[in-house]
Amino acid sequence: MTAGAATPRREGVRFDVGARAGRLARSAVVYGIVAATGAIIVGQWLGVSPPAAYGLCSACHGRDLADWTLNHVEGKHLFVTAAGAGWPLLTVVGLVAGSFLAARRNGEFGSINIGGNVRQFGYGAVVMCAALFVGGCPTRIIIRTGFGDLAGLLALGGVAAGIVGATLSMRWAARR
Amino acid sequence: MIVSFSSLGLGLVVGYLGQRSRMCSIGGLRDYVLVRDTGLLKGAAALLVSAWVGFGVVRLISGTDAGHGLIAAGTTPSGLRAVAAIAIGAIVLGFAATLSGACPLRQHVLAGQGRVGAWSFLAGFYLAAVVYSSWIEPSIGSWVL
Repeated sequence: MTAGAATPRREGVRFDVGARAGRLARSAVVYGIVAATGAIIVGQWLGVSPPAAYGLCSACHGRDLADWTLNHVEGKHLFVTAAGAGWPLLTVVGLVAGSFLAARRNGEFGSINIGGNVRQFGYGAVVMCAALFVGGCPTRIIIRTGFGDLAGLLALGGVAAGIVGATLSMRWAARR
Repeated sequence: MIVSFSSLGLGLVVGYLGQRSRMCSIGGLRDYVLVRDTGLLKGAAALLVSAWVGFGVVRLISGTDAGHGLIAAGTTPSGLRAVAAIAIGAIVLGFAATLSGACPLRQHVLAGQGRVGAWSFLAGFYLAAVVYSSWIEPSIGSWVL
């Protein structure tokens, strides 16, 4: 009777822990804390620097990986930061793979085509050029601001102004 | 080699959590302006506060010369032209990313879960990276900062 009573209790605890972990993973606040902490750890102690506050960036790390690949395959001499000069930075590969794993695990993976792909291609090109010009994607701009980077704070203000301007213009266009 | 493994590991974790939380750096402000939803904005605030606290702790325990007070050393724009360039570049970045529907990191996450538009975005993204490194950056130099 004791063993029979103990087994359901253990399962109940395990289920509760799993459900709580699932709820935490869906929290944007948890994402922010984990992403910032991870970026600081890999930047400070695992070699992803210089430059400073370089632990997580989808634009700069993507540029480094693309340039590193071309430098090694084609023998070119494109710019790669010191962090990604020796061994490649695989952050962007991890992002896609991690998202793929999460989507497959939770039954959300599926090829969805809602059109506008040429437009998206153009937006991608503009976003990369602008991100490299100001020194990082919006995520790294936030991390740089937390680092105390004055240029990052200025860029964060500019990005916020761009977001508000684009959102209001889209709403205005939708109401016409 | 540790650089590759650590960056891959961080990418996996952030990609997994990014897919589950649907977090987007620009989506927070966009959603707030559109529908007054603060869910993603709290995530961006958590990212900023965690980075600020984390770098402060790192400075305390490692005694690095990363700067004094709130402003890190060597991060001040070099002049009015640099300030204007950063501001205009950042406005273009925010505007284009909002029109594309998500920030670059979120586009990687969307590509991982099968969105075809995100793959088109990433094709233009990486093509532009090579174009920028090959022709644009050598012509403008590093006068922004």
